[in-house]
Amino acid sequence: MPRESPDLAPAGAPDDEPAGTRRPRAAHIIGQNIGLILALSILLVSVVVFTGLFAFEQRRLPGNFEITSSVNNTMPLALAASGQTLVVLTRGIDLSVGGVIDLTNALAAIFLAGSVLHMIVVSALILLVGAAAGLLNGLLVGLGRLQPIVVTLATLSIFQGLAIRVLPQPGGSVPTGYTAVLVNPNAPSALLFVGLAVLGWMALRRSRLGVAIFAIGNDEQAAITLGIRAQRTKIIAYTLSGVLYAAGGLFLAASATSGDATTGDVYTLTSIVAVVLGGVSLFGGRGSAIGAIGGAFITTMIVNILFFAHIDPLYQSFYEGLFLVIAVVLGAAVGRLARRAR
Amino acid sequence: MNAVLSPAALRILAAYGAAVLLFVLGALIHPGFASFPSVSAILLIASFVGLVAAGQCFVILIGGIDLSVPWVLNAAAILIATSSLGENSRALYALALTLGMGALAGLANGAAIVWLGVPAVVMTLAMNGIVEGLALGLSGGMTCAACASYAPPLVRAAVHGVFLGVPAALWLWLAVILLVSFVLSFTRFGRATYAIGNNSRAAFLAGVNVSLTTISLYALSGLFAALAGILLVGFGGQASLGMGAPYLFQSIAAVVIGGVSILGGRGHYLGAAAGAVSLTALVSVLLALNMPEYGRSIIYGVVILALLLLYGREQRE
Amino acid sequence: MSAGSAAVGDNPPAASGPAAAIAAQRVGKSFGGVEALRAASFAARPGEVHALVGENGAGKSTLIKIMGGRLAPDSGTLLLDGRSVRFAGPAEAARRGIGTVFQELTLLPWMSVAENLLIGREPRAALGLIRRAALAPEAEAVLAGLGITHIDPRALAAEISLAERQIIEIARVILRVPRILLLDEPSSSLVEREVTWLFARIRELRAAGTAIVFTSHRWNEITSIADRITIFRNGAEVGTFSGIDEAEAITLMTGRRVEARYPALPAAPAAERPAFELAGATLGATQDGAPGFGFSLAWGEILGVGGLAGQGHRELFLGLFGAPPFRRSAIRVDGRPVRIARPADAIHAGLGIALVPEDRKSEGLLLPLPVRDNLTLPILSRLSIGGVIRGGAERRMTREIITSLGIRTPSAAQPVGALSGGNQQKVLVGRWLLAESRILLLYDVTRGVDIATKHELYELMARLAGEGRAILFYSSDTEELARLCHRVLVLRQGRIAASLAPPALDAEAIVAAAMREAPPPAAHAA
Repeated sequence: MPRESPDLAPAGAPDDEPAGTRRPRAAHIIGQNIGLILALSILLVSVVVFTGLFAFEQRRLPGNFEITSSVNNTMPLALAASGQTLVVLTRGIDLSVGGVIDLTNALAAIFLAGSVLHMIVVSALILLVGAAAGLLNGLLVGLGRLQPIVVTLATLSIFQGLAIRVLPQPGGSVPTGYTAVLVNPNAPSALLFVGLAVLGWMALRRSRLGVAIFAIGNDEQAAITLGIRAQRTKIIAYTLSGVLYAAGGLFLAASATSGDATTGDVYTLTSIVAVVLGGVSLFGGRGSAIGAIGGAFITTMIVNILFFAHIDPLYQSFYEGLFLVIAVVLGAAVGRLARRAR
Repeated sequence: MNAVLSPAALRILAAYGAAVLLFVLGALIHPGFASFPSVSAILLIASFVGLVAAGQCFVILIGGIDLSVPWVLNAAAILIATSSLGENSRALYALALTLGMGALAGLANGAAIVWLGVPAVVMTLAMNGIVEGLALGLSGGMTCAACASYAPPLVRAAVHGVFLGVPAALWLWLAVILLVSFVLSFTRFGRATYAIGNNSRAAFLAGVNVSLTTISLYALSGLFAALAGILLVGFGGQASLGMGAPYLFQSIAAVVIGGVSILGGRGHYLGAAAGAVSLTALVSVLLALNMPEYGRSIIYGVVILALLLLYGREQRE
Repeated sequence: MSAGSAAVGDNPPAASGPAAAIAAQRVGKSFGGVEALRAASFAARPGEVHALVGENGAGKSTLIKIMGGRLAPDSGTLLLDGRSVRFAGPAEAARRGIGTVFQELTLLPWMSVAENLLIGREPRAALGLIRRAALAPEAEAVLAGLGITHIDPRALAAEISLAERQIIEIARVILRVPRILLLDEPSSSLVEREVTWLFARIRELRAAGTAIVFTSHRWNEITSIADRITIFRNGAEVGTFSGIDEAEAITLMTGRRVEARYPALPAAPAAERPAFELAGATLGATQDGAPGFGFSLAWGEILGVGGLAGQGHRELFLGLFGAPPFRRSAIRVDGRPVRIARPADAIHAGLGIALVPEDRKSEGLLLPLPVRDNLTLPILSRLSIGGVIRGGAERRMTREIITSLGIRTPSAAQPVGALSGGNQQKVLVGRWLLAESRILLLYDVTRGVDIATKHELYELMARLAGEGRAILFYSSDTEELARLCHRVLVLRQGRIAASLAPPALDAEAIVAAAMREAPPPAAHAA
């Protein structure tokens, strides 16, 4: 019969194995961050492959120009993917990314001009527009209790319409000074912004809001029972992601130096691709914006690799699609192996 | 029979109500909007959305989604033109080839989702890219000699031909509506679909062949997208790049407006068909108002949101 | 106040004297027209363990949810220390000193045990940022203080067993030192040793003056720890007692006199050709290359399977049903070797195997779908011609089974989720009777089912065995196993530790075999 003891020995395990269910700390760290680790490994491999191809073709290593243009090209997607991560972590999905980037990109092309102060104010206002767009999504999802996928499908259409209203024809211009600050064409200084995003992510991960975002992505009902305000958390998460998309719009305008109300459309789907490549679970509650940023850089590297491998650009999306499936399947397989290796 | 339950039936009725309302509205703005030729023309446009929505409805009912619709449709349009070369003698072969391509793309989606465990969003997104790359690459970016071919007269007749005063494509859509509704309501396959959509684990433990059903549903979605692509070529004469793009969001919107839960398990194609009509009627009304493109886009989104707020709420605990 | 010296139930149950820590007065609550609570009253004092008992649907869980702040009452008042309160949510109730373990566990699966345990009170550094590296050590220390040393705080909640999750859930609430502790079926997935641990914690809290309210369907637990018992029936209290025997309590719960608790077993089957034989099966816990195990089940036999939680029962039952199949094993049905790769194989192909799974809501039923769809799902191939369902035949079969099992539903078109738990369980059993299943795998079918329905299920099992069906029955209730089965296999670490049959078969023997430290193979078998 059981002892009348307050201690709980491992149920059913023999006493000579007191730590029956325990695993080394490293195993937990690897197992619980396998998505991130995989994303960064794929990124590393793709960088190596690209470097190899480039060196073979050009008889030199990729230099400042190649690195700078890769980083600058990736910035809008890296920011969009970071925003998408916040939404996906709450177990949502945001299809309006493209619309918000269209809109903010169009606004930037029209209003960015004049003095430094003026440009700073305009940039801040554009970020606010992104926040408002995200807030609308958040309110509809949080308070309206509507499914994220259909809400953002509808708001995508609204934001796209607004973008065309703002900038009916491609045009406008972005001052070169602005471009130099955001996407300096001479040095990969935009990596600084990536660093900021990573720092921001690490702070979020250690904040009450971060815990709340992860908790509702894990199990919304349980999170509510634990005292987490799910509606408020979702509204904040969507709003923050709106700000990030707007920042993506600014970077897009800065690197294109002019505006187009439809160039942002692609980011709806590519941000999802980056998030998936970054190891963020589409079922919510698991993942990291760092991974998603890595995912964004992976997609850029793939395009670079295809270019230097002389793949017909018409086939580009074929290889990208194939790569996405293979990456996800392999990622899942490695994840399973990591979990099984106890 | 699931559709006969009251809340579900109400949603379907609401979708039909919205369609009728829009026609009335259109008639008020523009006399002749609700005339027979006008209604018939609007329904014809709606039928393309409606056909894509049939496939989308199938996969959404099991909690999935098909994002590969745009390029499967577009590739089908290219394929029917290039393989038939506009000749009736090659039409049957071309039809079989094109529908087979659509079904195969859907089959691959389903197989990867079921056997490789790839999330539906990811797999169908990737498939869209894969088909796009193949379509662009093989047609040389629509520069191939055969790419300029017209649809065979047979296919054009299947869209434009008139039977009892109604375009043939509408008869075809009506047949699809009846068939899909019957399948969903009165067959094993339909029961399995709803069972999987509600709880696939429980369905599996009750002996439902979840894998086969899921794969079949995705294959059907690819098939319907290809069918829509064929009819669009029949409608417009030629294939073009990007012609599938509007159909992804429109098909999802039609399904959702028709009262199908995006989470699966609830809803019916009868509603989705009404959703397709409502959406098309809305665009027509806005066009009748001479609304510029940006206004149409905004109102389109607002109306979807309004309808969702009206009856698309998640139920509480 | 210590165990056993409970106050006499002299104050009437509806009254809540000034001594009550928490009290509900004439509280009402309905869900979509169904009254879950009708003017129910209840009071718990500081330093007492107060059991809430009653059938499923009697309103116990609803009352706990109201007291725990998860639901707002439609009518009546909730008193905290004699003052009327209204909680905006569970978080506010928690701030007011009420700790609740709800029936639905609230651990976040993809967060670590430590994150779950310390949520909302994480160790923080400058700027209020959480010190993530300090989470696990702190959780480790906190758990050790509660006598829990075997659960790894770095593991994800999804990686630990159901029982361990329930323990963490309880620990999380205890950690916040509630003045009032509400436990809704805290022991439902715990085995004896863990229940002992829980009760030790409860006694400590009682000694410290905490008011503890808990619900349970296990009578021996109730009598061993509760100072007072309040019985609920049909959404209101029947009375509060400080000593009451089981038969009397059941009478009050059900409103009618229930005869013997367990039906008479049909005579043990003659040793003829077995219905079902398993050989060479291995479960996850056993090493590759280890010899497999097996057993045989005769027609008309109820074979029980017992043991501590997490010893491979679930895998065993699902494996027999092909969901997923064992990596290697040999299965014979009626002496014929068969291959079961997936549930459809087990159900069809003349095998007639049925599984009633652990969780009827997540694995058994399609809650929003009609009773009819739920009943006929496995037999649609028989019910249809060319894939089209024969509506008339389906209606007839559905009607018959609803009548014969006494499933209480307004119609066959009613969504099964709207039925009571017991009736849902009957729909599940009915599904397999319609499928003419001959071998029934019943996994913890009585868990969380009220006592009256439990009874009906026991009788149904006896009847089915009497008709010659073979039943494999897992239960977390050892008493039930001992009283209802012809034989009981005790699983331990993925293998059969003992096979018990009368006269050696009783609850104590099952527990002893389940917990024995080193298992000398089959030495314990009678």
